Amino acid sequence: MQNKKNAYPELDRQKITSNKNGLVTLWHLLSGYHGHYALSAIMLAISAASRTGMYLFLGYFVDQIIGQGKFGTELLQGAATFMGLIMLQALSGFLSNKLAAQTAESSTRRLRDLLFDHIQRLSFAYHSEVKTGDLLERASSDVDTIRRFIADQAIGVARIIVIFIINFTAIFQLNQRLALISIIIVPVILVISIFFFRKLSKAYEAYQEQEAVLSTNLQENLSGVRVVKAFARQSYEIKKFDQNNYEKYLRGKRLNLMHALFWPISDTICAAQMIASNFLAATMVIDGIITLGNFITFSGLLGWLIWPIRNLGRLIVDTSRALVSLNRVVEVLRVPEEPLFEGSYLPASGTVHGDISFEHVTFEYEKGHPVLEDVSFDAKAGQVIALLGSTGSGKTSLVNLLPRFYDITSGSIRLDGVDLREYPRSFLRSQIGIVEQEPFLFSCSIRDNITYGVNREVTQAEIEETAREAAIHDVILSFKDGYDTLVGERGVTLSGGQKQRVAIARTLLLNPRILIMDDSTSSVDMETEVQIREALQRLMKDRTTFIIAHRIQSIMNADLILVFDEGKIVQSGQHEDLIDQPGIYHSIFEIQTRIESALQEEIDSVHLL
Amino acid sequence: MSTYYDENELDDNVRFDGNVIKRLFETLAPHKKTMIGSMIAIILVSLLDAYFTLINKRIIDEGIIAGDKTALVRLFTLYGAIVLVQAVAVFFFIYLIGLQGEKVRYDLRKRLFNHLQQLSLAYFSKTPLGWIMSRVTSDTEKMADLLTWGLIDSTYALVNIITASAFMLSINWQLALIVIASLPVMLFVAFKFRTRIYYHYRQSRKANSKMTANLNENITGVRVVKALRREDRNLENFKVLSTDMYRSSYRAAYLSALFQPTIQTISALSLALVMWRGGLSVQNQAITIGGLQAFISYIMMILWPVQDLARVYADMQNAVASSERVFSLIDTQPGIRDREQTLPFTSLSGDIEFDDVSFHYKEDEPVIKHLSFHVNHGETVALVGPTGGGKTTIVNLLCRFYEPTEGTIRIGGTDYLNFSLQNIQSRIGVVLQTPHLFSGTIRENIRYGKLDATDEEIEAAAKLAGAHNFIVNFEHGYDQNVGEGGNLLSVGQKQLISIARAILANPDIFVMDEATSSVDTLTEALIQQGMERLMEGRTSFIIAHRLSTIKHADKILVIRDGQIAEQGNHQSLMRLRGHYYRLYTQQFRHELESQLDPYQQVSEGFEES
Repeated sequence: MQNKKNAYPELDRQKITSNKNGLVTLWHLLSGYHGHYALSAIMLAISAASRTGMYLFLGYFVDQIIGQGKFGTELLQGAATFMGLIMLQALSGFLSNKLAAQTAESSTRRLRDLLFDHIQRLSFAYHSEVKTGDLLERASSDVDTIRRFIADQAIGVARIIVIFIINFTAIFQLNQRLALISIIIVPVILVISIFFFRKLSKAYEAYQEQEAVLSTNLQENLSGVRVVKAFARQSYEIKKFDQNNYEKYLRGKRLNLMHALFWPISDTICAAQMIASNFLAATMVIDGIITLGNFITFSGLLGWLIWPIRNLGRLIVDTSRALVSLNRVVEVLRVPEEPLFEGSYLPASGTVHGDISFEHVTFEYEKGHPVLEDVSFDAKAGQVIALLGSTGSGKTSLVNLLPRFYDITSGSIRLDGVDLREYPRSFLRSQIGIVEQEPFLFSCSIRDNITYGVNREVTQAEIEETAREAAIHDVILSFKDGYDTLVGERGVTLSGGQKQRVAIARTLLLNPRILIMDDSTSSVDMETEVQIREALQRLMKDRTTFIIAHRIQSIMNADLILVFDEGKIVQSGQHEDLIDQPGIYHSIFEIQTRIESALQEEIDSVHLL
Repeated sequence: MSTYYDENELDDNVRFDGNVIKRLFETLAPHKKTMIGSMIAIILVSLLDAYFTLINKRIIDEGIIAGDKTALVRLFTLYGAIVLVQAVAVFFFIYLIGLQGEKVRYDLRKRLFNHLQQLSLAYFSKTPLGWIMSRVTSDTEKMADLLTWGLIDSTYALVNIITASAFMLSINWQLALIVIASLPVMLFVAFKFRTRIYYHYRQSRKANSKMTANLNENITGVRVVKALRREDRNLENFKVLSTDMYRSSYRAAYLSALFQPTIQTISALSLALVMWRGGLSVQNQAITIGGLQAFISYIMMILWPVQDLARVYADMQNAVASSERVFSLIDTQPGIRDREQTLPFTSLSGDIEFDDVSFHYKEDEPVIKHLSFHVNHGETVALVGPTGGGKTTIVNLLCRFYEPTEGTIRIGGTDYLNFSLQNIQSRIGVVLQTPHLFSGTIRENIRYGKLDATDEEIEAAAKLAGAHNFIVNFEHGYDQNVGEGGNLLSVGQKQLISIARAILANPDIFVMDEATSSVDTLTEALIQQGMERLMEGRTSFIIAHRLSTIKHADKILVIRDGQIAEQGNHQSLMRLRGHYYRLYTQQFRHELESQLDPYQQVSEGFEES
């Protein structure tokens, strides 16, 4: 519906990331809009030329019309021509800016989309390493810096250069000596301006840094308000903030002093050039070398040539900043995406059966540091596999291998007898459901969260049925907006147990053949715990299930229990087998059984007192 | 992050509230001198800018046309002198107004921060942190901008327009009237444009924050996105947002591109008229060629002040909205204040009594209902019960973060409202569930408990808290940086430091909210030990989660629905077989199960029972 209207030329990630030169990259970034941008530059030149023409015509007007006493139609025509030139300048100026804006907005919108898509397709390994804040910064403020560069700064540099060339040529046509004398100051101003804006840029960074310090100070104070109050440290806090605040004031003052010095100094230098050149031109009129009209033209053109040079320094500093931003964006784009559709095997039935076997699987995040070592076991379709072990023993790493969030280092994993790497990731993930300990919900409605995983229309009846199975229906109805209740900051905050049940509903609807779940119900009360347990039982039915276990109850009926220690399976079997073996499982079970007797003892001891 | 709330709460129609504007300008009162100084400087600059054109006229008429070289020298010397005077004036206006800007920012931030320190906890629990942050950071910025550059730019513009008009009138009043007549049209169009541009700009900011929030969520939830293969649909959703952003951002850019050319076109009309009528006047010698040239210069220059005025007008809407929010914060009265007469600073060791205390945040929703209990000096009270039952509120009332809506709290027999807040809060030591540290070193964080503590005292406190050993293991020992919010430390370490901080404060009453999150066994034991040190000889209130804490308490209050459901000691409550019995047995199982980790000494888990 909207798609057609919003369609835009595709952006080629390969091209953008292939060249080290920022300007080349930028050029590729504008692909599809090169015509717009070129036209913008042409319009810019027309606009500048018509303004130059206006000054030239003004000279002609003074010399040939007024000077010659042609006050009839020539005067009227002259005035009309003048108006026409201004309007041409206005129109082409408008078109130039519009085309540049179009180029900038369109190409950055496309870049944003590309980045969004790229980021979500980066591997898990990448995401676990990189900081969210850093990625966000690149995708928002760096992209914006690029946008401003395309829309304003690049055009600004072009404008100054075009103006310089056109005006200088025009002056040169008038009088060569005058033209050459008039630009003596240009390199001086240019150097001063670059020097100044470099310095300014540093001072500005220092100012911004202090701003960040102040923000952190404020944020810590506000989030720690209870501590501040508990220790009655208000005046201490006030003093601390004041120090930081004052430091910012001082840095701002310094920044300001630089501005206060640069502008009048550069003003004076430019004015000196203007005075010298204009004086020379004026004497040339008196000496009959040039006409009065020439003088008026010259004076106008020169002023328009000199003053903008001062801004070139700023534009150059901005350009180097934009290139830094561009590089930061390209850096992200260079990271290879996780190929979702790579792999040739798709089962004829459209779904997998669910037999899984691990053969001598070793996996390491970092070379030489295996987190899983020589892991082998077989799981038949529909079985429950329990994984037991301390934090960091390899349980989570193992389940991350199944949807191919990571690929194994050596050995092989087979699903229905076929190597896992032959399944396209996308298909594989469609067959696997995950219920995490602290499930992540999105800030959309509860309905959208439940249907988040399925790519089809789901009827309200089906959603409600699923929610009932997940024991969350009644909770949802208790909210004012029912299934339309928003989750998160702008809606309700769900408790851990409620989130988990929404995630169960989400997974039920997905109807995967393989299930991975984290069996943790630590932060819920007993009644909820029973509900979650029942919902999980319904979920596990007829699926090959991997449970990351924290408690013995959910393990006792497992078809296979794997006990992990430092990445290796140290014990495996069923409850009945393991319970009699000396080892970790036995010890754990001991604790569990002794809890009840200990509790009884405890209760009894109270009564004895 | 701080701009988050900002964009979403902006009204699209800002009213100009006279009172707010008055208060806004009153913030300038302490800076009268810089204000007046910069005003004088800018008026001079503006006058001289208009005067330059007049000199140029004289150069043409009296110098060039008259063929008088000495007059030329005189006039160019005058020009040069004025350039120098203006440069000095430019220096002063930039310096003074910039200085004033920094001062106003500094003042506003200070005023807000100091005020925030006085506000009660209730305010912070109902106001999002981001909202407050935006007031202190971005709103003060906008206010200061209006009070400095807004004032300066509009003064410059007004003076420039008036002076130029006066000069034109003095040259030729008929022609001047043509130009003056075009001014209102230009101003009207400019204001319209600015308002529209501003509107779209704001829309684009809103769209931008939505877009960033979406990206943020997609990154934090990337695991779910991948597992549920949502990439394509999420990209589609994102594209809707990025298209919104594109539309409003492009709209603003388009209008900006159209803005100046439109004003220029209007001026072209008056320019053409002036050239035609002016040409005829040259014939009647009612105007000189220099005069005509001056007119053309004035018309071409007057575009700028007109656009400046429009910009300031738009910024002013923005700044007034900011001021309204800032003043509303400043006008917020702290809900909890000292009574008019307070008792002299005193120790708070004594019995504590809650006498028929009720409390509600909102009318009709009582949180605490007619609560009465008595605690003897030196006793330890454990508060237990379900989440949301009112335990935290009781502790908050005791610390006087809130005050009872009914009933009385007595310390040592005196209604605690008679003490000063400073007295109460500095004599109560609080350890929070999620310990809050400030950026800085460990030493500074502990010293927070007693600002004049010596290093020896700090170490002694750390030793008592059981924190000394891990602190000295850090590379920089006590001078180790804890990171923003203490993020470089583990939760357990933060907890130990916050205990050390409380020990150093040597309070009469000790309040602790026990952490529910699990820490490793060793740290757990250290925390337990530290707490016991703190409880020695002080009246202590513990929101308890751990069995050992609960069991050792002198008095246990089971809080449900804002009331005491049961009270007594462990033995007596167990015998009741009521709420406490159920809570205790559940916690008992839970605590032992959480020690299921088979790699820790199995026997250790049993020491408690």
